Amino acid sequence: MVVAGIDIGSTTGKAVIMIDDKIILGKIIMASIKPAQTARLAIEAALENAGLTAQDELQYIVSTGYGRLKVDFGNENISEISCHAKGAFHTDPEVRTIIDIGGQDCKAISLSAKGVVLGFEMNERCAAGTGRFFQVMAKVLACGLEGIGSPSNISPTAATISNQCSVFAESEIISLVNNDVPLPDIITGINRAVASRVSGLVRRAGLADKVVITGGCYGNEGLVNALEQALGLKVNRLPVNPQFMGALGAAVFAMEKFRAKTTETQINMEGAK
Amino acid sequence: MRSGLKSDIFEKFSALAGSISNSEVEGWKQQGGKVIGYTCSFVPEELFVAAGLMPFRIRATGSLSAGRADDYFEAANICSLVRHCFNKILTGEYEFIDGCVIGGGCDANRHILDNWEKSEARIPFLHRIFFPHSSGILMAQNFRNQLENLKQLLEEHFGLKITDDKLRDAIVLCNEIRDLQKAIYALRKVDNPPITASETIALVVAGYSMPKEAYKADLTQLLEELRGVTVPENKKTVRLMVVGPGHDEPTLCDIIETMGGTVVTDLTCYGGKTLFGSVREADPDPLQALADYQVIDRPLCPKNLDAHPIINREVMDKIKEYRVDGIIGQSYLCCETWGGELFVLQKELKEAGIPMLRIEREYTSDSLGQVQTRVQAFIETISGGLL
Repeated sequence: MVVAGIDIGSTTGKAVIMIDDKIILGKIIMASIKPAQTARLAIEAALENAGLTAQDELQYIVSTGYGRLKVDFGNENISEISCHAKGAFHTDPEVRTIIDIGGQDCKAISLSAKGVVLGFEMNERCAAGTGRFFQVMAKVLACGLEGIGSPSNISPTAATISNQCSVFAESEIISLVNNDVPLPDIITGINRAVASRVSGLVRRAGLADKVVITGGCYGNEGLVNALEQALGLKVNRLPVNPQFMGALGAAVFAMEKFRAKTTETQINMEGAK
Repeated sequence: MRSGLKSDIFEKFSALAGSISNSEVEGWKQQGGKVIGYTCSFVPEELFVAAGLMPFRIRATGSLSAGRADDYFEAANICSLVRHCFNKILTGEYEFIDGCVIGGGCDANRHILDNWEKSEARIPFLHRIFFPHSSGILMAQNFRNQLENLKQLLEEHFGLKITDDKLRDAIVLCNEIRDLQKAIYALRKVDNPPITASETIALVVAGYSMPKEAYKADLTQLLEELRGVTVPENKKTVRLMVVGPGHDEPTLCDIIETMGGTVVTDLTCYGGKTLFGSVREADPDPLQALADYQVIDRPLCPKNLDAHPIINREVMDKIKEYRVDGIIGQSYLCCETWGGELFVLQKELKEAGIPMLRIEREYTSDSLGQVQTRVQAFIETISGGLL
């Protein structure tokens, strides 16, 4: 059985192909303004990595992410909350809490021991606590996202960033720069501000060990450090690239759906005999 | 979202609910009738009906911007619905009303009057009525006195007399309308309701937008039509209830129903929250009967200090009555009243094992992309992937 999951986020598109239980990740595709086009590029990259030549070989496709409804070649769409939960639990069945920080939103998802979603919280439409917030701050500090996430920029004397609004926080940070506050202090302050906001979502959704981080911000060491301090628990990384977790979950759903459909067809055929 | 039901009444209700001024208002005005606007469900329409005025509940249907209102509300945390309603007033969409009564239920609402008086928008009659913030006999007496004051002001301004008999007739008419609405709501208790949530919103909003006698006649005919509808075969669906302040536009409910949910009932300010019991009809003091209904019998607004247990009980009762699988608690940004209420309600429902999704949003329906994701995830969570 060959199926695919496609995650069209605000910033990137990702696709995962499953051939029976084998998982093949595609590539991170920068999102265009047309989600359907991003989806095509993402699936082509995944097909190439899987050694497949044509989309026709895919027997079931599930789309997710904010552009999920625009994927015109998928069999169905499932929310990114369900897909991140499915992907993370499939990768590590000990996961009970997922923190997903994407380009334009962040989510906290609580899972049962069977992988059922017990609760979830998302940020409202404000960009604070999302990848976009980090992009804006990295531009102001001229340090790149690598600088924001670098472990060498974790400081014990973090600056206080009081404003959660991306726009106002930007002017606050410019003031800190003008006052010669050291860069690591500012960066640690930014990561702590985001961690403070995200940890509130996590507690509302339901916090339990084991905690993992998914989405594009998983590589931000400073943020992970700040989250661990805010939550009082270790924030783990998954063995599969966490940025693909939504697409992986969609692929697992696709496999489950296709298997159920195949079984149903067989039962009907046997019944007809 | 439409059910597929072919009905001229539904078409009419949808048209009335989809705009502010409408053909019914124009017809009423052409016959020399006066229209009085009001905000908040705690302003008793019966008083206006008894005065021979057509009550029109202020709403913001179709609003895409609150830009003009923000000139007034800029510095305050005023809820999105109030800002958009006031914007409609400033842009002249309520020029057809001959007066307006502002309900002082929440602070945001009462500020409409403050700002209206300071604005360029003219209105010949503008009055604010204060609601007691707790129930009980003393509070009901206080509210009755305010209704007496409003009655006198209406009589003086419009040159008319509101007799007790006229009040009692108006109470009977509005009770009959409530009963018809309740009967239509009850049709949604079945597995596949004959009407959708957005049709139900149109149905109740139309009632705030046309003369009451004509509305009663239309509702009576519609109820007959709906009772004759053969519901489609069973399909798997998640039965949901919407709780929160008034929402007069169908976008949220359309999202819910497109994503595989069915909104089977609601406790909202334009809809289910107004369908609570009846006003005493033969009371020697009809104003006291109206006050008792709003303050003692129907204290369902979180503005009331003692309303929470009653709201909780009403939600729990409806969950059983309508076999509700989950609650969608929606409020507008900066709505302190419902924002706080829904937070507490969610905690209590969680303890009772009932899932609830909280949504805080802008009034404008073009900002609902993220809401769609959350609603879809909520429905997926409840259904366990069975849909």
